[in-house]
Amino acid sequence: MPQASSISVLVVDDQLTMRALIRNALQQIGFKDIREAPDGEEALKNLLAKPANLVISDFNMPKMDGLALLRAVRSHPPIRQTAFVMLTGRADRELVQRAVQFGVNNYCVKPFTVQGLKEKIEQVFGQLT
Amino acid sequence: MDELEAIKVTFFQECEELLADLEGGLLAMQDGNDDGDTVNAVFRAVHSIKGGAGAFGLEPLVRFAHVFETLLDALRSNEIPGTPDLTALLLRASDVLADHVSAARGLGVVDMDVSAAMAAELKIATDPNAAPAAAAPVAEAPQYVDAAPIVIGADDGMDDDDLGFDFQPMTITLDAQAADAAVLDGDVWTVSIRPKSDLYRKANETALLLRELSRLGPIQATLDDSALPALEFIDPEAAYVTWSVRVETEQGEEAIREVFEFVDGDCDLEITRGEAPVADVLASLLDIAAPAPAPEAAPVAVEIPAEAPPVSAVGPAAEAAPLAAPMPVSAPAPAAPPVAANAPAPAAAKPAQIDVPGPGQSVIRVDPERIDRLIDLVGELVINQAMLAQRVGEYGIAPSSNLAMGLDELEQLTREIQDSVMAIRAQPVKSVFQRMPRLVREVANMTGKQARLVMDGENTEVDKTVIERLSDPITHMLRNAIDHGLESPEERKAAGKNPEGVVRLAALHRSGRIVIEVQDDGKGINRERVHSIAVKKGLISPDLTLTDEEIDNLIFLPGFSTADKISDVSGRGVGMDVVKRSVQALGGRISITSRPGLGSTFTLSLPLTLAVLDGMVVDVAGETLVIPLACIVESLRPKAEEIRPLGPVGSVLAVRDSFVPLIDVGLTLNYRDRSPPPTEGVVLLVEGEDGSRAALVADAIHGQRQVVIKSLEQNYQQVEGVAAATILGDGRVALILDVDAVINLRRRGPPPPSDPTLIAAE
Repeated sequence: MPQASSISVLVVDDQLTMRALIRNALQQIGFKDIREAPDGEEALKNLLAKPANLVISDFNMPKMDGLALLRAVRSHPPIRQTAFVMLTGRADRELVQRAVQFGVNNYCVKPFTVQGLKEKIEQVFGQLT
Repeated sequence: MDELEAIKVTFFQECEELLADLEGGLLAMQDGNDDGDTVNAVFRAVHSIKGGAGAFGLEPLVRFAHVFETLLDALRSNEIPGTPDLTALLLRASDVLADHVSAARGLGVVDMDVSAAMAAELKIATDPNAAPAAAAPVAEAPQYVDAAPIVIGADDGMDDDDLGFDFQPMTITLDAQAADAAVLDGDVWTVSIRPKSDLYRKANETALLLRELSRLGPIQATLDDSALPALEFIDPEAAYVTWSVRVETEQGEEAIREVFEFVDGDCDLEITRGEAPVADVLASLLDIAAPAPAPEAAPVAVEIPAEAPPVSAVGPAAEAAPLAAPMPVSAPAPAAPPVAANAPAPAAAKPAQIDVPGPGQSVIRVDPERIDRLIDLVGELVINQAMLAQRVGEYGIAPSSNLAMGLDELEQLTREIQDSVMAIRAQPVKSVFQRMPRLVREVANMTGKQARLVMDGENTEVDKTVIERLSDPITHMLRNAIDHGLESPEERKAAGKNPEGVVRLAALHRSGRIVIEVQDDGKGINRERVHSIAVKKGLISPDLTLTDEEIDNLIFLPGFSTADKISDVSGRGVGMDVVKRSVQALGGRISITSRPGLGSTFTLSLPLTLAVLDGMVVDVAGETLVIPLACIVESLRPKAEEIRPLGPVGSVLAVRDSFVPLIDVGLTLNYRDRSPPPTEGVVLLVEGEDGSRAALVADAIHGQRQVVIKSLEQNYQQVEGVAAATILGDGRVALILDVDAVINLRRRGPPPPSDPTLIAAE
């Protein structure tokens, strides 16, 4: 069982408030190593400089959206193994299908609860301790 | 829950930015300056506000934002056409949204009837066939209560798993990630070598360096020859090319550096861990982002993960998805010979250093008090430096001596520090400007005018202390421009103008001050009328001949109002005289110029900061005083025949056509009991905030100086006639005169003799 505290997370959202809320939720789950990026472009730079185990990314963002970020991560060998959870504003079937196409690990629909987010992450990594 | 409270504060700060983005985007749409992304940005702003509001249980805000967002969503997906009417509706909706945000913040209340009506309008705009009855639910929850957030994000009222297909999460193990990450972390280096001509002159050879590098591990070298000129322009002894080498080695950076030990300084060397520069990756991504995602793969890809073993390293879907373009960067073509003439190495081989701004690193939030303290300290430093310079002068040390020159440098540095520190506290006027479009809409609505606001120079920076004081005068000037400046649409049409008037609000820096201009293209000032009103109200004498400019500026006289009927907008007698007074209190000036039929321009200028002040240093009865330069009209040496007695003790000075009261500052501040004859001193003609003039008598003028303002109340106590204090170069405390108070003191007559004498302390 992986430890939440040993998993590094990059939170990608253009909204400061949402990043803070996700960070807060992740801390409640037990994550310690949490980084943030305001858009896909910054996120990619961040990951290439220092890989993370898990990316939790919003979809609709300026510059590079969540889907483009997912594609970028998957097409860059050193970081293509990064677990990727898409946080979507709505359960848009088409969007999720495309995300699946590009290798998304899981998706989570806003609004979410701390417990809900935890379950989504556990579906990827297995039960967290 | 404290942390959530802190996030809530962040949320409201962010809301301000989002509302500004929203309005900016809508205004761009109104002007027809929108590109494809504007609608999306506008949508995102409302969506984000809704998202955050949902997290904090701000129900009415969420509901209104949701209706708003739905309309914007329809607009951005071209379900409904964008029209000027729709944009106008969206702008009004953004005002209601702003009200909701303020109410949620506990600042003010929302008129729920207005909100419900607006929501109904938005719904009809979204779907004209929808029954208007749908508007009712918006008014359901009129109160903002602190609901504990259970869910994070916006409530769309949509089912979590309403996808229409079965989603199988793709599992992953940390081990698999670690294996890949190791390649990135430990073993791959990118070395960029740009030899200088000296390298070749010293008989070194890049081929040898590359061979040396290859001893560390497998290398792939690419040559960037983009700097190579055409053959006839080549300097045979110059260096033109750059190498980019990918090295896989476990021996680390030190070992790589060692290879270049002997060419140190003869080439530009950059060693970076990891693959090629991010810029290239991004560039290649732009290539692949363009084509549409492979549609034929869609149904297959959905099912594949379901069958994938839980420990599959990377989703097969990722590999199944055909990428439209190869990735030349992540896997540099090994077949490419090192000296390929058209090597794919990008010209920008330099950005190997990856600049990674972590969270909050790009913007630092600092407690304003710390900056204020820093500014205080730098103020002290400036004073201290001035004192040192003066002492050195007193000791007769030659200006060319090392000591004096060192002091000059210190002065230079001190000034730069002061400027830099002030720059930290400087803020763009945007924060004030962004409130104005709404004001213009409201005032135009109220007065039946059509007005468009054009803003310029929103990024002009000015000290925080001034920013806070800009809002009122700008509001007044804009109101005045629309209410009195612009004609009604009918009048404009009759005059051959566009029925929509244009009001321009601009900020700029000019000679160390910030200048705010409010310009309208209205009818201009009716000088005849202004003149006759001023005469009628007894503000000027009828036989006085005034220039056009002087007539225009009569509107700043107290009690002047040209509106035939008092309108809601410009207020009751609270006219431009109030604005002028508050501006002057800040050391600023305001004026108006006008061209009949073409419009008027208000010009407001303020100092860039209220922390320093330009002042005239004068001597009065052995004390040194500073008189704010902004108040001084002129200085003169009075002749005996110009002075006429008035009453038992007073006297007036004839200045050209008028008489102004003579005030001995020394007497008023109780420095002395009897005035020396004014002809022996210097007279400073000053203008108070209310436009009243006085002639202040001082013994001598020392000159003009910029001084650091020290609050007297904080350090001592308030003293009548004194605005603040400062410390001069020689270390003495000098008081900064409050010109208005001095004029008022004199009107009330001399103070009782029992007043303690105020002495500026050493």
